[in-house]
Amino acid sequence: MLTEYGTKHAVHVITNHFGDLVAKVCECLLRKGPLTRQNVKRYTELSDEQVKNALLVLIQQNCVQAFTTEQPDGPKANTQYVVLFDNILHRVRFAKFLTILSQEFDQQCVELVQGLLEHGRLTLKQMFDRAKSSEKEGNLVDLDSLRETLVKLVTAHYVERCPASEPLLMPISEEEGPARKKGSKSAKKIGEPETIEQQVVEAALPMEAMRFSVVTNVESDVGEKEKNSNNVTPGEKRKHDVLELDECGVADEQSVVYRANFEGFIRRLRHKGCIDHVRAHLDDGAANVLSAMLQATSSAEKKVKTKNSVPLSLSSIYEEVIKSEAGRNMTLDHVRASLVQLGELSFVDASSDSYSIDFEKIIEIAQNEEVESVVSKRYGRDAYRIFRLLSKSGRLLETDKISDTTFVEKKDAPKILYKLWKDGYLLMEKLVVTGARQSQFLLWKVNRQILWKHVLDEMFHAALNLSLRVSYELDREKELLNLPADKRTGPLQDRYNRIRKVRILLESSQMKLDDAILLFHDF
Amino acid sequence: MSKRKRPESNAPSDSLTDHERLIYDVIRSKQDMGIWTRDMKRELRVNLPDNIVTKSIKSLQNKSLIKEVVNIHSKGKKHLMAVEFEPSKEISGGAWYSEGSLDTEFIKVVKSQCLKQIIKLKVATLEGISDSIKRSGAFKVDLTKQQIEEIVRALVLDNQIMEVKSNGSGEFTNIPVGKVCYKNVSKGGGGGEPKTGSLASIPCGVCPQINICTPDGVISPKTCVYYTTWLDF
Repeated sequence: MLTEYGTKHAVHVITNHFGDLVAKVCECLLRKGPLTRQNVKRYTELSDEQVKNALLVLIQQNCVQAFTTEQPDGPKANTQYVVLFDNILHRVRFAKFLTILSQEFDQQCVELVQGLLEHGRLTLKQMFDRAKSSEKEGNLVDLDSLRETLVKLVTAHYVERCPASEPLLMPISEEEGPARKKGSKSAKKIGEPETIEQQVVEAALPMEAMRFSVVTNVESDVGEKEKNSNNVTPGEKRKHDVLELDECGVADEQSVVYRANFEGFIRRLRHKGCIDHVRAHLDDGAANVLSAMLQATSSAEKKVKTKNSVPLSLSSIYEEVIKSEAGRNMTLDHVRASLVQLGELSFVDASSDSYSIDFEKIIEIAQNEEVESVVSKRYGRDAYRIFRLLSKSGRLLETDKISDTTFVEKKDAPKILYKLWKDGYLLMEKLVVTGARQSQFLLWKVNRQILWKHVLDEMFHAALNLSLRVSYELDREKELLNLPADKRTGPLQDRYNRIRKVRILLESSQMKLDDAILLFHDF
Repeated sequence: MSKRKRPESNAPSDSLTDHERLIYDVIRSKQDMGIWTRDMKRELRVNLPDNIVTKSIKSLQNKSLIKEVVNIHSKGKKHLMAVEFEPSKEISGGAWYSEGSLDTEFIKVVKSQCLKQIIKLKVATLEGISDSIKRSGAFKVDLTKQQIEEIVRALVLDNQIMEVKSNGSGEFTNIPVGKVCYKNVSKGGGGGEPKTGSLASIPCGVCPQINICTPDGVISPKTCVYYTTWLDF
């Protein structure tokens, strides 16, 4: 269930990128759920052509997925369209994705993915045409090297084949629901029912081997890269097959469509977030150890929200640590000591001489700190202690017990508790005890599930506000910004300096807030 | 625990009027809980006029038979108690309360001492902290184990120390495995105040009006005074 500001924020992103018309269709799907084209037209009161074009843009940009459902008897139902909320959120993160790439790959890789992010999806031919059109002298683009670049990115799971255009969604009976999806990688927890969005995404995905494969031009590969060719046999049949595959290869390069694999980038950002968190809590040594463990085990991760990393021995960890420049000077004792420190904070589980990262714990602590920071700044230090007490305890506590434990004045505690409850940070229950006199007690509790949803909604609200304020500020100084530099003198220069600082502050705050949204929504 | 003195047999209570006797008996029967004047009037077997009650209370106070105490649950109300009793924890607030309010200075000093000992010991159990404070002679009166535990728990809630369990080795040598200990919270490269979160770093994160802020409302990001102050370069 999307929150109100989650929806508003998503609509705002689509409006900024694709205009009001596309945003109207997107908002309709966000608020109403999956719809047929007819129903979208009915609710938006747009023309058939307008709805069609808007949907095409959203599908091209991976923000909407079409699907059909099977009726128990009779023909297939009409095609419906479901919005991919997560992919809309990813649109503000493209710069972060490209930064990750630039740290691991060369400029050609970065440019290829930039093209995929800009256009949503491309065939190899389209990638080549795009690269050719922005070709610089002395830096000519050739198809083979571009293909190699694509293979590199697909192998690293940063690029994938596009999903099926209209997968068939099998209806799930109520009894079957959670049990059937037990093994599903998109279900957050066992027993938690999948949303339609998750079901459609999963149904649309190609098989793993297909999803991360690139069909190459076999003729040029023969004798060089046999691993890329499928049916190479000796003799004349080989020549026949090669010709056939060559035609298929060329056809595939014009028809197989690729797109950026957001999951790959989010996984990488999750790792990076955990390393930064460990660095902030402990030191560089511990961060290097965690980074090495991630390096050694990340290929074994099956899904983004992996709970634990694959266990590693101390010697394996050490071998990986000393591979990196940062870890080269670390001794085995130093690595062992860092693992102990990580264990103390429960960031790493140690058992039978093997170590495994507890991602859920690191993320849980980071989330707690984010919320506690808001409570502290918004409601004060007393509220901070009260909130931490209730959050750690996880159960209902009575007002007096809270004020005693947290050293808050008995007359102040109820006011703070009431304020936190009114703003949705606490749950409250009344307990009436009848005895000689009837007494009423108030009990308070932090419910993480409810609160986390509320905090995420506040983050979406804040993200929308930042975006609106940036637009407002830049709009106010539109003329000044268009003025040539030599005309900006005196007070105009001061205003220009101000708007520059405003822009930097607001845009960097947007990026930082997005890190928090990642923490609560994606990690 | 209330401190009770045995009442003397030839107390000034012998020279009380009937009204005073009535009122005194009710107050005394409440022992270390005392009683609010209005509740006391309700409990009297006879309906006495207000002026008589007031006069009697004053007389009893002058004869040092009853005293006024502060009830932290209702500081504005007159709460009476027989002199031989000390207010119970329920109405005084306990060891950390003084005259109806938290003794913030005292609490601050105890917190600071506990933190100092924990930093000195690097890893400390409750007993270790208690012994260390005793040895330091920082306080004239010994703090009870319960008081130290309460303060240490508050330091954990303040995020100045963290609770860990001993694994019996390394820095936990000499501490039984599984025993709860306390360490100073390391702040990585920082030190001092924990890092401000992303949401808390922007005006919306700390805004008391966020629930009524809307994109085009009276309170909106475009009209927001907190934003204007924040962007005032």
